[in-house]
Amino acid sequence: MKKSVDVSIPLGPMHPCWKEPVRLKCETAGERVLKTEMELGYMKKGIERIMRGRPWQEVMFLAERVCGICSVIHNMVFIETMEEISDIAVPPRAAYLRVVVNELDRMASHLIANFSYCYTIEHETLAMYLLNTREIVLDNLERITGSRINTAYMIPGGVRFDLLPEDAAAMLADLVKVEEEMKRYVRIFETGPLIALRSKGIGFMSHEEAIRAHTVGPTARASGVEDSDLRLRHPTYRALGFTQITRTEGDNFARNMVRFQEVFQSIDLIRKCIETLPEGPIRGGGLCKAGETSYAGEAPRGELTYTIKTDEYGRVVDIAIRTPSIMNIEACAHTMIKGATSIADVTSTFISSDPCVACNER
Amino acid sequence: MKFLYEKDLRQMKYNILTSTRHDETVRAIAQHLGVSNAKLRMVLIRRLDMSLLENLGSRWEMGLQHADDGDPLAEELGYELFTRFIPLVDTETMQTIYADTTAMTQDMPFNDAIARGKERIREAVLS
Repeated sequence: MKKSVDVSIPLGPMHPCWKEPVRLKCETAGERVLKTEMELGYMKKGIERIMRGRPWQEVMFLAERVCGICSVIHNMVFIETMEEISDIAVPPRAAYLRVVVNELDRMASHLIANFSYCYTIEHETLAMYLLNTREIVLDNLERITGSRINTAYMIPGGVRFDLLPEDAAAMLADLVKVEEEMKRYVRIFETGPLIALRSKGIGFMSHEEAIRAHTVGPTARASGVEDSDLRLRHPTYRALGFTQITRTEGDNFARNMVRFQEVFQSIDLIRKCIETLPEGPIRGGGLCKAGETSYAGEAPRGELTYTIKTDEYGRVVDIAIRTPSIMNIEACAHTMIKGATSIADVTSTFISSDPCVACNER
Repeated sequence: MKFLYEKDLRQMKYNILTSTRHDETVRAIAQHLGVSNAKLRMVLIRRLDMSLLENLGSRWEMGLQHADDGDPLAEELGYELFTRFIPLVDTETMQTIYADTTAMTQDMPFNDAIARGKERIREAVLS
């Protein structure tokens, strides 16, 4: 007779599927996961503490280093917070270029998130295809900013480099290639029987649970949370006619599909930006002043909030960063994984929420 | 069971709770419950894991917005707030306290019944 035993299964901190170290302790009854507990602290940087007392010129570089995958949005939100404190206006051309770079970063982030998921469920072919396509996106990020990861592209009152017409043409040609490849990959993902078996109905999070844990980004949008994309409130995105992508399934499949759909949306936004790129300067200038404010932007994983207090020289006196992974990882551990019918689904469910431990442990 | 590889997480949990934003949240919850900040920190460290402590501020904000809508008694006691949003009291205990407080409102003024209910919640949190 088959017996089921109650055991505590620790996953991590070093696990082949984890991108970063984190420990997940699962209390199980047979194959069923009853309770999970998360242990962090394996890569605490203390970056908020390092930022305090430093001039904004140093903090803008530190802000990017909170997360290596979505570094552009950390740069953008920090700079836009400083602009709000100091009442600095951004020239329209610079605002559009910011969107281009931010969307390229979002594409790179979503592609690596979906790569990780496919790798976790052992669909290595699709995983490698996605990673290969991500290279094209990073090449285009380098084309504009000169760097693939920590770009430091945005500065108060503008951006560092203009987009040359020949670079814009090359980027549009690359985007056509990316779009074609992505259509094929999405078809593989949507119709693959193995993927469906490991993803559909697995790691379910209801609309109410998503709201309760304040989940954000694609994780919230996959559970049908409306008005959960801060790009809806950003003036440049509004000018570009941005609309939010939402799904209602709330499972691993939906979370990945939202990210796939957002890659196509990012391609459209970049095209729209390049087609309607206003003429004019890319830097308007401005002086960072004393003040205190809280400002949020939409990172690839969701709402990213910077609360900053500065003095009259533009030094950062106090700073608090609330990253999207704080909410999403917590919801994943206490909602999506809890009640999983198989311990084998824990890793894939965890990865489906696109966890960023570096963000979580600023 | 105590495993050899288990770490003492109290110091790291304390560091999370004393950061700028978390400290504000802890103070707000302590004020709501009528307990001292230090005692509440001790309870939070003992009962919640690190990811929930990191997400404490967001859960508190969402709880204030969405918990116990339309029921003044549940709202005053923090029925959903302290069971579903910030799990400090188990659901059965909270149900008992809620039912007893509802009965008490028949016999005494509403505010007195609420004060007694809150006292029992405080005891449940600190137990």
